[in-house]
Amino acid sequence: MRDAQSFDEFYRCTARRMMRYAYAVAGDHTEAQDLVQEAFTRAWRQWGRLSEHPAPEAWLRLVVARLATDRWRRLHRWRSALSRTGPPPDAPPPCEDGVLLVRALRQLPATHRQALALHYLFDMSVEEIARETDVPVGTVKSWLSRGRSRLAALLPDLAVEKLEANDVS
Amino acid sequence: MSAEISNLYRSLTVVADGMEVTHPELVRRRADRLARIRVAGTAVAVAVLLGGVAVGGRLAFSADGSAPLPPPADTPGPPPTSSTPGPSPSVSPTLSTSQSPTPANSTSGGRPPASATGAAAPRPPTSIPDRAFFRLAAANERGLESWAKSAMLPALCGASYPSDSAVVQRRGRFLAYKKPEQPAESVPDGSYRHTITIYRAGRADDALRELRQAVRDCPTQKLSDDTRTWRQRLLTSGEYGDESVLFEMRSPYPDGMGEPGADEVRLVRAVRIGDVVTVLWEQGWESTTAERAQVDADSRRAVAAIENWLD
Repeated sequence: MRDAQSFDEFYRCTARRMMRYAYAVAGDHTEAQDLVQEAFTRAWRQWGRLSEHPAPEAWLRLVVARLATDRWRRLHRWRSALSRTGPPPDAPPPCEDGVLLVRALRQLPATHRQALALHYLFDMSVEEIARETDVPVGTVKSWLSRGRSRLAALLPDLAVEKLEANDVS
Repeated sequence: MSAEISNLYRSLTVVADGMEVTHPELVRRRADRLARIRVAGTAVAVAVLLGGVAVGGRLAFSADGSAPLPPPADTPGPPPTSSTPGPSPSVSPTLSTSQSPTPANSTSGGRPPASATGAAAPRPPTSIPDRAFFRLAAANERGLESWAKSAMLPALCGASYPSDSAVVQRRGRFLAYKKPEQPAESVPDGSYRHTITIYRAGRADDALRELRQAVRDCPTQKLSDDTRTWRQRLLTSGEYGDESVLFEMRSPYPDGMGEPGADEVRLVRAVRIGDVVTVLWEQGWESTTAERAQVDADSRRAVAAIENWLD
């Protein structure tokens, strides 16, 4: 039996954080809203079991990341189709720095975006990111290092923290 | 102006916090509504499949023989297209009991196999016009089509296909479809990678034989961008063109994707019509469930379009 009250409470506590994460991973307003809604839809379908999960928010992040990756691939695949009619213009967010970052993030691989978002939005260590993404620690270090290097290349004014990947943990 | 990454992410959270968050009750309602729709759709698919297997099972023959090859046509082809892995979720949950591992072969529905006697054989076509590509049924039209280049087949344990050296021309596209009950502007219910290949005279048989062998030689595999194990097997294809191959790729959905406990299944059908092979690779759309009946219906359309072109 699924308890709607506990789900609604979970939703209210986590939806905002999940929206930030989805936006950082997907790089698009509408896409982020869609991803979050889809992730919570799946959460409700399995709420009987998920409510007993030791880390339901981590489960949600995983779903968001997988959905985003799937959609990212599809967007890439359909790019030529969309280019014939022209994509809808981006609604410019009010914050210039946020816009710059999101534009740059769109040019990073999904795994790099995911690792950077987990680190910078959730203050997760390399080990924690490795556990959540189910990859070796060294892979996460590589993702973070390469992701930051790529951002530095894409954002010339960016003062990249002089951190080695090892310092992230 | 300079900024640090951490500051940029703080700016990003400000933007994200300005986005509208749906009320949780609406999310629950949507989830329950979708669940009801999926249950109804699965019941229909089971009924259709059971009827289809009863008819198609009578038409299955072994089709592994290979004929001597005639001299190649005098029109050289472009470099062969290689196959690379590609994600493509689609689910057909009702294929578990009635398939034979033996692929189907039928000669009753298409033209005879290409002649092995060179001089008397009709010359195969040398270019593929747009009209060779089928149109979806009006109720399935979603208006999304892309001619982007991509692999013709999913990866099968790194299999290569020597018959690619006999390709005269290959064209391919992606196209999305919707279920008839969905409105025209809805999110698609699935998509195909659809290719048409002209082979030099007599070599199209090799392409299907190699594909069957590739599936048999690859019962399980891991894809480069996926930690799961995928299982491949041949299914009874039914009567399409001169001969056809149908196989599935199956793996459990990752947590949070698909229905709990369900498998993700991809369906791929290759059909030979003379020296032409068309491949319909159902790729789903964001983990949607592909229905065998839909793939069968669109396979028939694909074959009909090619037969009309070749006539």
